[in-house]
Formats: sequence, structure tokens, C-alpha cells
Amino acid sequence: MLDLYDKIQGARAAILAQWNHKPRVAIVLGTGLGGLVNDIEIEASIEYGDIPHFPKSTATSHRGRLVCGKLNGEYVVAMEGRFHMYEGYPLKQITLPIRVFKSLGAELLVLSNACGGLNPYFRSGDIMVIEDQINMLGDNPLIGINDDRLGPRFPDMSEPYDQQWVDRTIQIARDARIEAHKGVFVAVAGPNLETRAEYRFLRQIGADVVGMSTVPEAIVAIHCGLKVVGLSVITDMCLPDALRAANVEEIIAIANEAEPKLRHIVRGVVGEAGQVRLA
Amino acid sequence: MPSDHRMNDLQQATEIVRRRGMATPRTAIILGSGLGGLASEIEDPIAIRYAELPGFATSTASGHQGKLIGGKLDGVPVVVMAGRFHRYEGYDDAAVTFPLRLMAELGASRMIVSNAAGGLNPGYRVGDIVVLRDVIDWAKSPTRLGDDVTSAIDRVALASPISVVDEELLEAALQAARNADFTAHVGVYLATLGPTYETRAEYRMMRRFGIDVVGMSTAPEVRMARQLGMRVLALSMVSNVARPDIAVIANHEEVLAAGQAAAFKLRAIVAHVNQLPSP
Repeated sequence: MLDLYDKIQGARAAILAQWNHKPRVAIVLGTGLGGLVNDIEIEASIEYGDIPHFPKSTATSHRGRLVCGKLNGEYVVAMEGRFHMYEGYPLKQITLPIRVFKSLGAELLVLSNACGGLNPYFRSGDIMVIEDQINMLGDNPLIGINDDRLGPRFPDMSEPYDQQWVDRTIQIARDARIEAHKGVFVAVAGPNLETRAEYRFLRQIGADVVGMSTVPEAIVAIHCGLKVVGLSVITDMCLPDALRAANVEEIIAIANEAEPKLRHIVRGVVGEAGQVRLA
Repeated sequence: MPSDHRMNDLQQATEIVRRRGMATPRTAIILGSGLGGLASEIEDPIAIRYAELPGFATSTASGHQGKLIGGKLDGVPVVVMAGRFHRYEGYDDAAVTFPLRLMAELGASRMIVSNAAGGLNPGYRVGDIVVLRDVIDWAKSPTRLGDDVTSAIDRVALASPISVVDEELLEAALQAARNADFTAHVGVYLATLGPTYETRAEYRMMRRFGIDVVGMSTAPEVRMARQLGMRVLALSMVSNVARPDIAVIANHEEVLAAGQAAAFKLRAIVAHVNQLPSP
């Protein structure tokens, strides 16, 4: 873990060489949700391959570039394409970009994902603001000797998603007449989807949606002191007693359909981040 | 069977310890947070730094100087680990449990292991002692077992559930608590990988599973001690009580302070159990 510090500095320098600004918000775009970059006044677009120590994105419908520019009047960086545990990357590497964003000066991290709905009151295409999370990955990005320059050995997780920001995000959605739920996200390693028995289990342990990302990034954000907003787009309902086979094309189509709602909310969150004191 | 190089290390480490004049111990004691003061009570101590012992992981964590201490406690020969290894530091189970192999090789026939743990049972209070009847290991994974397992059969053995308890030692511990007039519960311990503390959603899930205390240690040691045929007494000191519906921020300093306040209880149990004759 002690080599992370130098890697962060290396990646940071490579980004600053192309775009020398301090982003207020960092955004990670999930499966099918890349459209948000069309709203950004792009000042620099950096391929992951050109940033030292960034992994390469191999997942379906994930590009692989860091978009830097202005959104709703604020400087942002946005990851178009993210990394997952199921791609075989160690969690430390997956979450390196989060630490780089912190070192660039970002104060708020917006994580988005496409996920399966477990709560029977949700509908496919709905948005959920993540209120809390359960880590069922069987791994943790903070394993190893802790580098005290980056964060504490034992991070507190009593409020991984800042409650004030949960409220603000819900309000932004409500103002635009977008229905946004609030709930618990559980992360599993994947890449297979769950069996019906597993869906029942995940529902029973208290999860409202299930996905294969977001939790590692949120843990590292808490470790390095970023506030986190989590947004899930429910792309298929996982009701164990009426389960249909998952269809990746359909999932991506629903994500694309719901994407304008997500886009609106993220734009609102970024705008508000410019107005409130974050620290 | 452990791998050849581990057997080699074990032989060498045993010779080093014997050459330093350590008597055959009756009890092996692993000091967790809260029991650390016990090290200073050992009569005629022979202290050997971990760095001097082949096979011991070298802890590069800040100022953590581990020692193996032999001597007498309440007149009974013991061997004590002051400082232990955790999986969240990046060690596999083989490295975490190597000291136990050594202590068994030296002749210890029983183990007392202690830890500071988060209380999930709402009936618990900070500073209470929990005598563990069962340990659930959530962090065990074939990749984390290490090179101690060379055959598939060993793998199965190491990965099987842990029946911790020696009824006689458990009764003795409860008797010691009654004698000294403090509360000791009997409960179930869940070992997580850490190093993050739990989210509220995770606490709720663990409660539903019937877990009484949760921590980041003890499971590998208990599993190894049982495999080596040692009798086991495992004790948790409740350092905080999780109240998922009233979020309170976990604080490592508080954990340590609670440990100091409850140290006398653990001390009383160790004194009582240590007097029991060996089997």
C-alpha cells in the first residue's frame, strides 16, 4: 500500500499536464450511463492508457477515458468507463482513480451504476439514491499496510453516503418530478448474475439493489476524505419468484432510457456543490 | 501439512526459543486490545522480538513491535504473543497463524485468545466480556489461506466451520466472572476481513444472522489451534455497542480506552483458567 502514494502522484501529474484545473466534483459513470459527458464542456479528454497506473476498461459499453471540463458552471472530472472486480483487477488498482481525484482537489464524488432491483416496490428504469451499502465482495481495497498519508487505518463507515447530500439529491429529483427512491446497495463480485436463492438471500439481509461496483470506490472515498453521492439506475428487477433470464442488451437499453433522469440529477448535484461549502 | 519452508522455519524458530531458555509453556496466550498490560506481569520474562524468529511476518506498521514472551504467570509457565498479525494487514492465514504452530511445538496444550470486538447484541454494554462459543469466519477464502495447505484435503479441513469451544474452559471463564462479580456473556463472534468498520446496513444484516460480536481477528488462530489439537478459550471485550438506528462514529481511540477499562476482567479470567491443570 505504501507504493500507492507515488502512483497517485504520477497519475496526477499526467492529468495536470493536460488539464491544469481543480475539479470540485469527480463523477464515475456506470454501465450505459456515459451520455452525461455530452453535457460537459470538454476541455480535455485523456485516454486511460495515457494515465500512468490506470487500468484499462474491458467491460461492455464502458469506454475508457477521463473527461475534464465544466458542468453546470463547475470544474469536474468524469470517468467514462469504470473498472470492476470481475475484470480481474485488484481493488486497490480499481480505486486508484478515486485517490487521484482527491489529490487533484475534488471534494465530492458522484458514483453511478446500473443495478438489479430487489425491493419489490421498485420498477425497472427507476433511480435510487444510495443511502447505505453492504460489502459482499469478500475483499476490501484497504488490505495491506496502511499509508497514514492517505487515510486512517480503520475508517468509520457509519455514514458512507453523506446524509445531507442524500437529502439534497432527493430534493433535486423531486423538483424535476423524477421519482427517486432511497435504499441500500449491496455489492457482489460477479460476473455471473445471482441465482433466485441468492436474490432471496440478498433481499433478506436488507439490500434494495444489487450491483458489481461502487462499494470499493465508496470505501476508498471515505478513507481519503471525499464526500460521496451514490446513484443507482435499476435496469432489471430481480424478483426471485417471478424471475426472467437477464438480457444484457435489454439492461443497457433501459440504462440508456433512464440516463436523462440521471443526467439531470448529476447536473443538479454538481450545481449545488458549487454553492454549498463542502468541507 | 505446511510447506517445507514453513516446517524449516518452525524447526529453526523452535531451536532459537529453546536456546534462549524458555520453559515448556502450559498455556499460549494471544493478547488483543485490552489485554496488553498482562505482558508486564510475567515473572522472569524471556522476550524475543518477532524479527528474530524465522517464519514470523515482519510487521512494518507504525511502531508495532511484536514480541514473544515466555515466563510465569500466576506461577504457571506461559508463552505470550504481545502483538499479533491481522488479515487486513495483507497477511494470509498461514502467516497469521504461524506463531501458533511455534507455541504448540514448544508444548502449549491450550490457547487463550482475546480481542476487542464490536457488540451487536443490544443487551451488551461497553466493557462487557463475551466468552465465545462459536466463531464464524467471513473472511476465509482459498486464496487467503496461504501456503499452509498443500493438498485439497487440507484445504477442506482449513476451510471448515470452527467449533471453538472447550466446555470446561468456557465454564471456568464464566465461573471466574461470577467470582469477581462482573458480567460475562456467552456469544457468537463474526470475523470480517476489515479494515473498515461496518456500515449500519451491515450491522443490521449481522444482527439478523444472530451474531453477538464482530471483529477482524481470532478466527484463523482458533482454527489453527483446534487443528493442532489445542484446547481453546476465546474472549471478546465489547469495545462499543453498535446501534445501527442511532449512528455513532466508531473511533479507534475509544476502542482502546474501553479495552483499558475492562482489562481487569480479562485478567481475572486468565488467572482462573491458567490455574486449571493441563489435560
